[in-house]
Amino acid sequence: MKHYDVVVIGAGNGGLTAAAATQRGGKTTLLLERHNIPGGCATSFVRGNFEFEVALHQLSGLGTESQPFVMRDIFNSLGVMDKVEFIQERDLYRLAVPGELDITLPASWKGLQKTLQEHFPEEEQAIVQFMDICEKVTLEGFLTLPKAKRSNNPEVLNDECAHFVKYGFRSALDVLSELFSNKKLITLISSYWNYVGVPPSQMLFSDLASMLYSYAVFKPWHIKGGSQSLSNALVESFIEAGGDVRFNCGAEKILTEAGGVTGVQLETGERVTCNAVISNASPLVTFNELLDHDQLPIKVQQDFKSRRMGTSAFVIYLGLDCTPEELGITAPSSFISSTLDWEAVSDRMEAFDSPLGGMITCYNLDDPDAAPPGKSQVALVCLQYGDVWQTVAPEEYVKTKYAFAEKLIDLIEQVYPKVRHFIEEIEVATPLTMMRYLNTPGGAIYGFKQTPEDSNLIRERLEGVNGLYSVGSWTSMGGFQPTYMAGESTARAVLKKLNQMEAQHV
Amino acid sequence: MSEHNVLNGIVGYQEVWQSKAALEKTGSNFQEIKQDVQKTVERIHPKRLSLKVDRIIEETASTKTFRLVSSTGAVLPPFQAGQYINVFVDINGVATARPYAIASSPAHRHYYDLTIKRAEGGFVSHFALDQLKEEQALTSSGPMGTFHHNPLFHGEDLVFLAGGSGSVPARSMLLDILERNLPYRFHLIYVNSFEHDVIYAKELRALASTQANFTLTEVVTRPTSNSQGHKGRLTTEFLSNLVPSITDKMFYICGPTPFNESCITLLTQLGVKRRRIRVEANGAPKRPDLQQNWPEGVSLNEEVTVTVKGKGSYKTRVGEPLLNSLETHGFSTENACRSGECSLCRVKLVSGTVFNPSEAHLRKSDRKFGWIYSCVAFPTSDIEVLL
Ligand SMILES: Cc1cc2nc3c(=O)[nH]c(=O)nc-3n(C[C@H](O)[C@H](O)[C@H](O)COP(=O)(O)OP(=O)(O)OC[C@H]3O[C@@H](n4cnc5c(N)ncnc54)[C@H](O)[C@@H]3O)c2cc1C
Ligand code: FES
Repeated sequence: MKHYDVVVIGAGNGGLTAAAATQRGGKTTLLLERHNIPGGCATSFVRGNFEFEVALHQLSGLGTESQPFVMRDIFNSLGVMDKVEFIQERDLYRLAVPGELDITLPASWKGLQKTLQEHFPEEEQAIVQFMDICEKVTLEGFLTLPKAKRSNNPEVLNDECAHFVKYGFRSALDVLSELFSNKKLITLISSYWNYVGVPPSQMLFSDLASMLYSYAVFKPWHIKGGSQSLSNALVESFIEAGGDVRFNCGAEKILTEAGGVTGVQLETGERVTCNAVISNASPLVTFNELLDHDQLPIKVQQDFKSRRMGTSAFVIYLGLDCTPEELGITAPSSFISSTLDWEAVSDRMEAFDSPLGGMITCYNLDDPDAAPPGKSQVALVCLQYGDVWQTVAPEEYVKTKYAFAEKLIDLIEQVYPKVRHFIEEIEVATPLTMMRYLNTPGGAIYGFKQTPEDSNLIRERLEGVNGLYSVGSWTSMGGFQPTYMAGESTARAVLKKLNQMEAQHV
Repeated sequence: MSEHNVLNGIVGYQEVWQSKAALEKTGSNFQEIKQDVQKTVERIHPKRLSLKVDRIIEETASTKTFRLVSSTGAVLPPFQAGQYINVFVDINGVATARPYAIASSPAHRHYYDLTIKRAEGGFVSHFALDQLKEEQALTSSGPMGTFHHNPLFHGEDLVFLAGGSGSVPARSMLLDILERNLPYRFHLIYVNSFEHDVIYAKELRALASTQANFTLTEVVTRPTSNSQGHKGRLTTEFLSNLVPSITDKMFYICGPTPFNESCITLLTQLGVKRRRIRVEANGAPKRPDLQQNWPEGVSLNEEVTVTVKGKGSYKTRVGEPLLNSLETHGFSTENACRSGECSLCRVKLVSGTVFNPSEAHLRKSDRKFGWIYSCVAFPTSDIEVLL
């Protein structure tokens, strides 16, 4: 039986970064992926002359060359920085609520303040205060809060994390309503709730603050060739370092003995032995289905019981026979809503009623290569839970999918009319599509529901089986940057553990 | 943890901690959704179907229809008219597969009809026509493919240009429209070399005479004196006279590759936008050497060595698609469309060169990092691949 130091199950962002890091860290690693292509969400597919980005709307955390941020270091250390090309986006987003407001926010911290003040002069002071709070909450959350946590010293907390203490753990809506009186401003500034999956009343202010701050200061990015490029680059770096990768090959069982992992059984029936397993599959799959025994560790049970299923997405990938200009697209990312009330938009996420809000990303506005000349690559998204889709009878599925797609296109056409007219290629993905390609319960794309109770600040690592680690959106925050970072940091923990074990043997 | 946790000093932290404890009381450990994903996906997109041949119908001298039913008698998964299944077979020890469009209507889910025409120099089509018997078991993929009517943008005026066995998906689309009473107009322009090649001739003619929204135009390129329908090849003149407001229609093209290409050219000349033309995939090209960028001086019959990393090597011809030669030599990869579209047969080229024809719908970064679609890749030198 073949032996590896580490087996990584799943080649999503978390699995890929973890595998590249353990193999490059000198531990023999086997990377297993059920699908024929790496990336999980971070993938693309081809229809006709178009290659469609599946999931990446805006990559955060990269920073510019002159002002680099954490992801640059991580990509460098994983040997992929010179294998991919990143494209900077000019704008944060446009929010269009027909009849109510239509504002585009620039991707610049100063510019953001200026734009907000121009549109909401009566809130001039509050905007200054808000931006100051965002900056401090973000920096404290990143730098001093971990220190306070480690030291467990209230003084460090109060002295060095004053803003986080005051604002960080309240809901975004709560803090915004305290600072601002203009409802439109609150709606505008909280549009990023879409990237978290819960409305402003249910998301942590610190999450909103750090998203705004990071995107505005460190810029939003696209990747040339789509996020698939980065996934492929990670596999390349992994193979170059001597790693073994198997596609079309799921993990069937995680084998254990005396409470610790001993190996993995593959879909083909083959078995390999290993010292550690890093699973990028949902922990619900990892612990409830892949483990070779039914005694779910008590801590894991407790953790699961306090979680709720997260949202999935309904996405329409469009290859359009026209330029972005012809459609009137001026910003790569737009949020579109028929109401100023994000809570109402979020209430629709569990039903087939017409969506009240959605987003549209145009990839070739800042990167002409993202579509053939004269054409456009556009994705329309609205968040949806998987539940309702699972109730649809198989023979009704396609009809239901098209009917819902019509509704989402109707919504988007309120701002960008003529979308239908120019369709050359189209692919519709429902929560069931996400289930199929990600193997996630509910088709979840950000892991568990990201309410404050989901925060890593009140969670511990899922322990209970020695040598078994979880990476990905379920055990960190969802999204690209968090899952890349989780993979990298988990790999570091695994390397440390394995090196300790080896040292003991010597 | 909670009492001595410094984070308790954060406003709202304790409340969230408490509500987490409350969630824990009412929540579940998700054991009840064990296997949920698999079961849900399986109902719509099963990876494999286990089938058997229920009936074989002689269509023409070179064509038979095989009615396949589930080996358990259950209903088969739903599909969209125009889609195909990939049928896995074992022929004298060679495990291979071929995609075939479903000819029957999506409304009848107790069977899928496959209509198979003998292909010149073919392998699986000969096996099917000569050896497949009633009651014989078969495995296939689930229904796949994007060659079907899409109500989001195809509209209601549909024209299908079929050549030879290209009428198979057309039949399914037609039956679907008629049985569901869809408000579409369907015009089938069906081109064959000889009149005796016309598949479903009786059925199509009968439907054309009774169904107001179905028009059939038969075209025979090598007519005899008593051939029905139009005689000769398709021309722009013929098409523009036959199809009014031609730029407003949605066109479906399915037939041999040269037929497909000439149809696209004709329609483009008539001002039809590419976005109004859908073309069905058609396997690996027979003459990749006639395509642009074929390396100079390399002939299809040259011998090359394929090494499968860590597993062995064999000799083959440049002109043999990589997937075929892999299968002939006992190797395999997952596959479905065998036409460069679905990406299931993706493998990594470790060394050497292959020719990726225009059929290979590769992702940009796959191209960059040397991943190829083995079903349509031609080894133009000795190569090593990673399966
Ligand atoms: C449509 C869409 C839009 C999104 N938009 C954004 C955005 O704009 N910004 C952002 O930051 N995030 C966005 N996300 C979310 C983000 O992509 C995900 O949260 C993140 O990529 C999840 O990474 P992960 O590491 O959890 O792995 P996943 O992507 O969940 O991948 C898991 C992998 O494991 C494999 N696997 C599972 N089980 C097994 C098994 N038994 N054996 C082998 N392999 C297995 C799966 O096939 C899959 O490849 C979006 C997601 C989607 C789908
Ligand atoms: S089998 Fe579909 S691309 Fe090769």
